Amino acid sequence: MAYPSMGEAHRRITDYLNKFCDAVSYQDVASLAQLFSFSSNSPSLLSLADALNFFQDANRLIKQSDKFSQFGEILAPLFRSLQSYRLGNLVEAYHAFEKFANAFIQEFRNWESAWALEALYAIAYEIRVLAERADRELSSNGKSPEKLKGAGSFLMKVFGVLAGKGPKRVGALYVTCQLFKIYFKLGTVHLCRSVIRSIETARIFDFEEFPRRDKVTYMYYTGRLEVFNENFPAADHKLSYALTHCNPLREANIRMILKYLIPVKLSLGILPKTCLLEKYNLLEYNDVVKALKRGDLRLLRHALQEHEDQFLRSGVYLVLEKLELQVYQRLVKKIYFIQKQKDPSKAHQLKLEVIVKALKWLEMDMDLDEVECIMTILIYKNLVKGYFAHKSKVVVLSKQDPFPKLNGKPVNS
Amino acid sequence: MMNQATNTQTLASVDPNAVENRYVVNANQGQTSLYVPSTTGSEAASWNMYRVENHPAESGSFSNSTYHHVQHSEPSSRTVQDGSNATSLATSSSLGAANTQPDYGGYTSYSNSAGTYSHGSAGYQGYYSGYQQQPNPSYSQPVGAYQNTGAPYQPISSFQNTGSYAGPTSYSSTYYNPGDYQTAGGYPSSSYTHQTTTWNGSNYANYTTQQYSNYTQDSSGAYAAGNAGANSLHYQQHYKQWADYYNQTEVSCAPGTENLSVVSTSTQLPQVSQVPGVSGGYPTSNSQAPTTFAPPWRPESSSSQTPLLQPGATVTGAYDSYRTHGAPSFQNQHPSPVQPHFVKPLESKSSYGNFQEQQKTACPQLPNLQYPVAQQAPQNYQPPTQTVQSLETQRVSKLQIQTNPRIASNLPLGLPKLDKEGPNNNAIAKPAYISVSLPKSSEKVLSNDAADTVLKAGVFPKSLKSYVQRALALCKDEKQSAACQEIMKEIITKATSDGTIHTRDWDAEPLFPIPNTDMTDKNNSQNPTPVSLFSKYKKSPTRRTKSRWEPLEEKSVDKLGSLNNYAAKYSSRVPLDEKDRKPIGASSEGKTDVMKKIRFPQMEQKSASKTIQRQAKRQRLADASAADNGDASSDSDKEQNLTAYYSGAIALANTPEERKRRENRSKRFEKVQGNRAESNHFKAKNAGTGNLYARRTTALVLSKSFEDGGNRAVEDIDWDALTVRGTCQEIEKRYLRLTSAPDPSTVRPEEVLEKALLMVQNSQKNYLYKCDQLKSIRQDLTVQRIRNHLTVKVYEAHARFALEVGDLPEYNQCQSQLKILYAEGIKGCHMEFAAYNLLCVIMHSNNNRDLLSSMSRLSAEAKKDQAVQHALAVRAAVTSGNYVLFFRLYKTAPNLNSCLMGKVYSTGLSQC
Repeated sequence: MAYPSMGEAHRRITDYLNKFCDAVSYQDVASLAQLFSFSSNSPSLLSLADALNFFQDANRLIKQSDKFSQFGEILAPLFRSLQSYRLGNLVEAYHAFEKFANAFIQEFRNWESAWALEALYAIAYEIRVLAERADRELSSNGKSPEKLKGAGSFLMKVFGVLAGKGPKRVGALYVTCQLFKIYFKLGTVHLCRSVIRSIETARIFDFEEFPRRDKVTYMYYTGRLEVFNENFPAADHKLSYALTHCNPLREANIRMILKYLIPVKLSLGILPKTCLLEKYNLLEYNDVVKALKRGDLRLLRHALQEHEDQFLRSGVYLVLEKLELQVYQRLVKKIYFIQKQKDPSKAHQLKLEVIVKALKWLEMDMDLDEVECIMTILIYKNLVKGYFAHKSKVVVLSKQDPFPKLNGKPVNS
Repeated sequence: MMNQATNTQTLASVDPNAVENRYVVNANQGQTSLYVPSTTGSEAASWNMYRVENHPAESGSFSNSTYHHVQHSEPSSRTVQDGSNATSLATSSSLGAANTQPDYGGYTSYSNSAGTYSHGSAGYQGYYSGYQQQPNPSYSQPVGAYQNTGAPYQPISSFQNTGSYAGPTSYSSTYYNPGDYQTAGGYPSSSYTHQTTTWNGSNYANYTTQQYSNYTQDSSGAYAAGNAGANSLHYQQHYKQWADYYNQTEVSCAPGTENLSVVSTSTQLPQVSQVPGVSGGYPTSNSQAPTTFAPPWRPESSSSQTPLLQPGATVTGAYDSYRTHGAPSFQNQHPSPVQPHFVKPLESKSSYGNFQEQQKTACPQLPNLQYPVAQQAPQNYQPPTQTVQSLETQRVSKLQIQTNPRIASNLPLGLPKLDKEGPNNNAIAKPAYISVSLPKSSEKVLSNDAADTVLKAGVFPKSLKSYVQRALALCKDEKQSAACQEIMKEIITKATSDGTIHTRDWDAEPLFPIPNTDMTDKNNSQNPTPVSLFSKYKKSPTRRTKSRWEPLEEKSVDKLGSLNNYAAKYSSRVPLDEKDRKPIGASSEGKTDVMKKIRFPQMEQKSASKTIQRQAKRQRLADASAADNGDASSDSDKEQNLTAYYSGAIALANTPEERKRRENRSKRFEKVQGNRAESNHFKAKNAGTGNLYARRTTALVLSKSFEDGGNRAVEDIDWDALTVRGTCQEIEKRYLRLTSAPDPSTVRPEEVLEKALLMVQNSQKNYLYKCDQLKSIRQDLTVQRIRNHLTVKVYEAHARFALEVGDLPEYNQCQSQLKILYAEGIKGCHMEFAAYNLLCVIMHSNNNRDLLSSMSRLSAEAKKDQAVQHALAVRAAVTSGNYVLFFRLYKTAPNLNSCLMGKVYSTGLSQC
């Protein structure tokens, strides 16, 4: 890295300062946001960081003119943050950036219009990313990572600034989404509730007026929350909304949505096409879907075991595990069809022994009692219509629609 | 100016004395304002209380006395007033404006005082405003009254009433009946004194702050102040904190006894106290509200005293200068007040006592100040100007003292002329400080006075002296004699406050039982007075609290502990006190000499020695080192505590009035209960014995006190050094939730705990017994901060026992502890408990996120564990609703999984 000359460093810093002041005075939010986007690693910012590290006394430049010094509170920590960022000292960079962000929020409060929202978005994003990286640095040093938490509380403050009435409210959802990201990462999902409440109960501002990308993100995260709560219809609604509004070119985003939407849909008895799974590289669900189609309990268990870590991490493991009952249903249904082919008159009388045999063929070692129990639950959950003759160990299926389809309704409804 | 005018008018209406009183009042106002800041509400309340107390004392002759005090500035009329004025004041108060005006005329003649008054008034205006604000609730009226020349008294009375009504009620019969406190003609006087005192205190404070800018400077110069200024400041702060305590304590303790004692002592001390009080008040004002409080009172009293002595110019002049300069006027006042007004001074002392109760320290100071003044006055009198400086210096010293009564006494020492007296005063003050400090101070003052000008003879009846000597003669050792002194101080203060000091047949008076070295007896003997004295002693909030606390705690250890705690709490204060005390100590030595000369040499010596000891002790406390604190629990403190306790317990009421006062006091105590509770809490912690214990408590106290602005940081505490190392060798121990710091003698060391665990595990007794034993083991482990394999074993054992009987709350406690212990890397049956944890989560199911997180947290290694696998299988069975599998798993459950599964069944599966 060639070091810039003193004059060059001076020029770069002044240039940056001028850009900042011009952006503020002309309310040129795009260029303003650019000035904050560390993570973009734009060459101008990198060279500025080098210049700052070389020049060292940037504060003097800020104080030199009134034009700059009025933003001294904002710029000084920003420079410090940039310096540390460039040097790879992310914890320091985060600290300085939070100071800068606080100062910027103060200034932002005083601006009547919401012109600087984009810059605020950039800050909210940068502070989150920076906090994550700082946490990584901290934990690699054996210290407790807490910067992301700090970023969360800072963003909560930003949310407070935006959540009121007025033109700035449009920005609230972006901050909310950043908060979601932090909370999901930290595992403090319960903190989302207050934010959600203030978004969803606000009558003054229609949800549809928020920017689309924010709406999609928001729906994605709230949909995930519903998955946690096993509230599948609501999760289906939210995730479907996210899917339909998501930019179709953003395949990564669509994949993320599908990752949760597919298990939800499976729980509702709706199976995806294989091509969908292939297109978005969600093959881990392939076996699950196959198992559901075939009534192959062994395949389901195998699939769950194979991707256990993945499913546990994404939080869909329990959802997929609950598909087991549907697999049983499918299996019984298949047996029923086979019996029907053999002897249509007695097809609705299903002997448990047959089911046990079928399971044994699937290498599922279950005895009569267990199968009886499972059948009882299937009837209880309305996956099978009929009754159970305990003494003769026979399930008597209803002649009318013995295996009702879920059709978008969750099991046990 | 209006204020002044009003003040003067009011004063005039009352009498010259009244004028002074008003001044005092004004000053008080100012002070009150200051006070309010410092102690705010509580102080105000305390003031009121004081007033009440004063009233009672004054009720008879007190009104006069109080007036005198207040009116000290009016010294010219003083003597007259003192004699008849006081009484007349009560009556005259009814007269209202007319009286006041005439008096005023006289007052004007006092021009000297007038000048001072003008100062005072000017100051008062300012103070006034401040005053009103502060006292607003109760004082608002008084303020108005002040402004209204004629009315002023009523307001004052109202003030008094507000504050001291409880006390007054009892008194009311005598004094209050004549008129309402508020309206009162008679009231005014009594109330005035009280008010004035209180007001003065407040005013003074203001003075110091405002007018005294000069003053403060002077004081600072003279005082070098350092002590005074800084101390006082600290004090004020402390005071604020303590204000509540003070108020409560004061109220309860002081009202009755103080009044009594005040009367008696006031007679003796008043002069000194007043003068000193003035000076002290100034200092206090300089220092801050608390000190100011006491000073104000004193000043008033002193002023009144001075007026008595030199009713005319000297007093007034002294007053003026006093107010303006504090010191100079004091000197003047001092001379005049000293001899003539001793009785009055006593009254003022009574009021002081009240103040002292509020601010024990202040009160002591006042006495001291008064003494010095008195002495100085005689001596300085001639060289007033010089004396002024000396006075200033004294004041300065007084100011320092202000914070603590003892300190105050020291301050007097600081005064050159007064020094001798001052020391005496100081010594006296100190005794008073302790609990009887006021009385003592009065006695000492008397003695000092005697030394100076045989004022004592005038002040105290001979019979009383002989009585004291008789009592002392019974004492076998120093401790006893010291206790005796305290008791006698209390008695005398009571008598003074009652106004019976001169009327009582001291020769026929039964001697109080000689106090035991333990102080309990002493306390008993002195009970009534001690109580009041103690309340007065409250001077320092800590002490007060102690005294109150002490009653609850009978154990000397506990007391010590509490003392330590207090010391720790007040460490900041203590230092100030110590400073003051140190001077006092020096002075006390000087005093001792003087005392010897004095009629009550023994008493004085004893007191001096005590004071010295106390000083030393306090210093130690100030050091705040744990060890010091342990030592710090000085005998005197214990004694005080004990005396307070006993005094409260024992009713020595010699007269119906006393009884009433006691009742009032007890009521007040009830109010104070809350504070006590807090202090008790501390005591409880102290329950343990030993240095460790003391250290711990101090640490605790320190940590608590930090919040109050203590200098020390919690981080500075070496917790390792404070960790208990058990010495108990018994294997079996019942669990008792600790309410205090652990006592090493009841804590088992690790080896014993290991045996205890074995014993419990092999025990055939029921779960309740095991749980109890295990809890005590856990407690001992926690107390000794043992966290190792043994800890894990104990928790695991307990968790298993709990699971066996389905005691889930207890199990959860253990589980959460185990989680932490495992996380610390301590080996144990980690897997077993991971399985339990899983089963628990399943049981409390419906929380998928918890289940997911605990499942995802399981390591691959854990998943291979039989118990964990079983738990996972159970989970799967539950989620799929496979009861059959569930019950099969139940049958094959390893460890205690089946116990939890039973729970799972009853909670989870039953819904299916």
